[in-house]
Amino acid sequence: MEAVDSLQQKNGRREFLKYLLTGGITGFCAALLYPLISYLKPPEQNEVAVSSVSAGKISDIEKESGKIIRFGNKPVILIRTADDKLLAFDAVCTHLDCTVQYKKEMGVIWCACHNGKYDLTGRNISGPPPKPLQPYRVILKGEEIYISKLT
Amino acid sequence: MKGMLNILSAMLFVCSFIYAQTNDDQCFICHESTGDEIAELYKHDVHSQRNISCNACHGGNSRTDDMEIAMSGKEGFIGVPKGDDISNRCVNCHSNKEQMKKYNSTLPVNQQSLIQNSVHWQKSISGSSHILQCTTCHNAHGIVSVKNPSSPAYSLNLPALCAKCHNNAVYMRSYNPSLPVDQFQKYRTSVHGLKNERGDTKTADCSDCHGSHEIRKASDVKSKVYPSNIPKTCSNCHSNSEYMSGYKIPTDQYKKFSSGVHGIALLEKNDLNAPACNSCHGNHAATPPGVESISKVCGTCHALNAELFSGSPHKKAFDEKNYPECETCHGNHHILTATNELLGVGKNEICGKCHKENLNAEGFKSARLMRKLIDSLDVQILYAKKLIDEAEQKGMEISEAKFKLRDANQAKQETRTIIHSFDIEKFKEVVEQKGLTVASSVIDESKKAINDYYFRRYGLGVSVLIISGLAFTIFLYIRKIEKKKNF
Amino acid sequence: MKVRLQKIYEWIDQRVQLQDLINFMGKKYVPVHRHSVWYYFGGVTLFLFIIQVFTGILLLFYYKGSADLAFESIQFIMSKVSFGWLIRSIHTWSANLFILSAFIHMFSVYFEKSYRKPREITWITGMLMLLLGLGFGFSGYLLPWNELAFFATKVGSDIIGDIPFIGEELKIFMRGGEDVTGATLSRMFGFHVALFPALFSILLIIHLLLIQRQGMSQPIDFENNSGNEISKMPFFPNFFLRDILFWLLVLNLLAVLAVFFPSELGRKADPFAPAPAGIKPEWYFLFMFQTLKYFPANIWIVEGEMLGIILFVAAGFLWLMVPFWDTKSSRGQKNRLTNYIGLFAVIFIIVLTILGWIS
Repeated sequence: MEAVDSLQQKNGRREFLKYLLTGGITGFCAALLYPLISYLKPPEQNEVAVSSVSAGKISDIEKESGKIIRFGNKPVILIRTADDKLLAFDAVCTHLDCTVQYKKEMGVIWCACHNGKYDLTGRNISGPPPKPLQPYRVILKGEEIYISKLT
Repeated sequence: MKGMLNILSAMLFVCSFIYAQTNDDQCFICHESTGDEIAELYKHDVHSQRNISCNACHGGNSRTDDMEIAMSGKEGFIGVPKGDDISNRCVNCHSNKEQMKKYNSTLPVNQQSLIQNSVHWQKSISGSSHILQCTTCHNAHGIVSVKNPSSPAYSLNLPALCAKCHNNAVYMRSYNPSLPVDQFQKYRTSVHGLKNERGDTKTADCSDCHGSHEIRKASDVKSKVYPSNIPKTCSNCHSNSEYMSGYKIPTDQYKKFSSGVHGIALLEKNDLNAPACNSCHGNHAATPPGVESISKVCGTCHALNAELFSGSPHKKAFDEKNYPECETCHGNHHILTATNELLGVGKNEICGKCHKENLNAEGFKSARLMRKLIDSLDVQILYAKKLIDEAEQKGMEISEAKFKLRDANQAKQETRTIIHSFDIEKFKEVVEQKGLTVASSVIDESKKAINDYYFRRYGLGVSVLIISGLAFTIFLYIRKIEKKKNF
Repeated sequence: MKVRLQKIYEWIDQRVQLQDLINFMGKKYVPVHRHSVWYYFGGVTLFLFIIQVFTGILLLFYYKGSADLAFESIQFIMSKVSFGWLIRSIHTWSANLFILSAFIHMFSVYFEKSYRKPREITWITGMLMLLLGLGFGFSGYLLPWNELAFFATKVGSDIIGDIPFIGEELKIFMRGGEDVTGATLSRMFGFHVALFPALFSILLIIHLLLIQRQGMSQPIDFENNSGNEISKMPFFPNFFLRDILFWLLVLNLLAVLAVFFPSELGRKADPFAPAPAGIKPEWYFLFMFQTLKYFPANIWIVEGEMLGIILFVAAGFLWLMVPFWDTKSSRGQKNRLTNYIGLFAVIFIIVLTILGWIS
């Protein structure tokens, strides 16, 4: 403080140094604060493990149809059945990792790669799939559908 | 008179004493003399040859000719055993090691414990005894070794023996209504059944696959015909080159099967959906599938491939040349995961076997092009993966691209299916539309992410500049204050 | 602006007598001589510690200390959180530089004999902080829960298990069980963010208060030639500004290192996987690790490794106690022996670290 006070002499070069110092400190603070604040801003996906995702509005999915929803890094198939039930399963075929789809005419979850079939409880009923599809929990909040992991 | 009587009674006494000392089987002597057919049967019985008399099962005394005494309750006569008592009579000796040794028997002594694990050892519908007694299969009188052609359990007689119940829909309904009753008919159409009918005892009969005393349900993991146990069961005979020497068929099927995809899935991964021997050959009607039906048999699981194949130009060509459809390219027992090497016209590649540059040239060109396409898809997918890994290692967010890459992988899977149409246009569509476009967009996105990573260095440049500037200013400042105050 | 600042200053000054503090600092002088440059390393170490506290707190916002989520949460910090990569990389680099500059500081103090009376307590608190720093490094290394960290921790705690009598107990205490598991992670996390910082802060306060109280130590030569005028520099602002200047340069270095050599994450730890080849501890443990390797399996009846550890513990203890056995320096006499021992220690550490690095 004293030092700063003692600086106050009418000298252009010294004035310049003062501005430089103030500017430098301001810039330094900015260079520190910018990353700091953006770090603390909550990221889009606000937690490590995905526990639930929104699957859109119920009006977006027709009766007797399926829809692939992205759940973290994995696809999940959401199915609205003829009697208006909502079901969700892991959409990765247990045979060779293709993505399954809902086949209205067969009434099953079907894999196009090797004709694997699963019934609407996720059980593998025909074709090469060795294991059933893992079910997910479907929650209906008003119009919005949410899918979450079964815990 | 009294003296005479005394002498007579003395004689009788002596006689009876003599009888008691001899091993003459009074039961048999008496019953044979009345023309009893049971006695006739007993004559050939293994037990009669070892001097085991009727009383071993029926009780009583076999050494007195006095019927009253021989068949009196006092002597332990029980008449005809009923229900489980029947088997208990047999078990008395047959499960007793010491007893069996006396007769120099080499038979096992565990039949009782085996049959207790068997499906036949459930209570019968009357609830008072078990379904099946020893005598059901081995006879009651006239029991002979199962190697004796007159035994009902002799290999050539066995199918008919089992069929007695198992071919009887009414009878089977009371125990297992959903079990088919046509096994016997099917068996007679199989290679095993035909040879058996012609008197070949070496071919498989019911007991070779199902076991004899310890017959379990097919769904029982310990059953010899539980899906994952079937290959071992068949190989008991089919992998024994000495045993099979007369039949002129190979004996390496088990070795080949167990190292192929199906064998690995069934035996190592224990995937019960995977086919065992019987899935392609049938079980009771076991026989190799005919050349033209191979694609139908494989198609029960590989439905899309089979359908595409049936509509392809190869179907007709293969039938004409008598090529065994799927087997022509994939083999039979030793089927391996299909790789790109199955496709193409190179030296060891399959298409090239029929399609040459100057012979069936159109197919030659198509095969070469298809191989090129699938290889380029592979290369692109690999490249995309590498870029994604690189971007991830650099801490960039590219889960979107990673998710998309699944579609490219799926397209690759689909090429494995669509190839069976042998239609270059369809194949091209899958590779290019579904595979290559996705892969290249993934590559673009990852490249962008990696470029972003290098963009960070500009940020660094700016902040280094700011920090250095401040440091320099402080340096100037220090110089200034120290010039003023010399200490 | 200036007037307002002045007012705020006066307001505080009336209550806590800031002027006293400034007067005190103004009277504090730093000796100027050819070894003055070493004075900066204490400050740099302090600066790096402050950075560790700040970045550590920032990492805590997103880090999850459980075996299920530790690795994933770091992955999350590295990829999803903006500038997360920067914070983590700075934390890692600053940790390494902290240990380095603490070592330099410690050796400079040793060779200047600054530990001599009356600064024994300063030396001991400093040594304890260095040990805690190593503890920070060891416990923090496991937190990403990746393969390398997992096995390095396993090997490291195994070595601790060889300490006679208390080793096995200590190992189980450190691991929170028989083996390195999720329990170890929780424990290390607790050490790293709660226990160690608390202990470190207490030691640091004592250390800094003593320095303010006793002033900077001078080399023995200066004290002997008391007739000569010793050149001095006021601590504030001259030395203080130099400190700041040095800190800014270190900050620059950190930023460059963090951007060009960001921390990697590797693969998630799998307790059942075989250990990957070339498991090495952090570089500052390397010389001990390497020395233990040269010990034969058995020496007489003692296990070689155990003997090695006993020797290290003994050497460390002697080093810590140097102000008490080097009485010559305290009396202001030259002590060549301590110089030779110190020189040996420096060469030993450097050579074995290099050997460990290239092996």
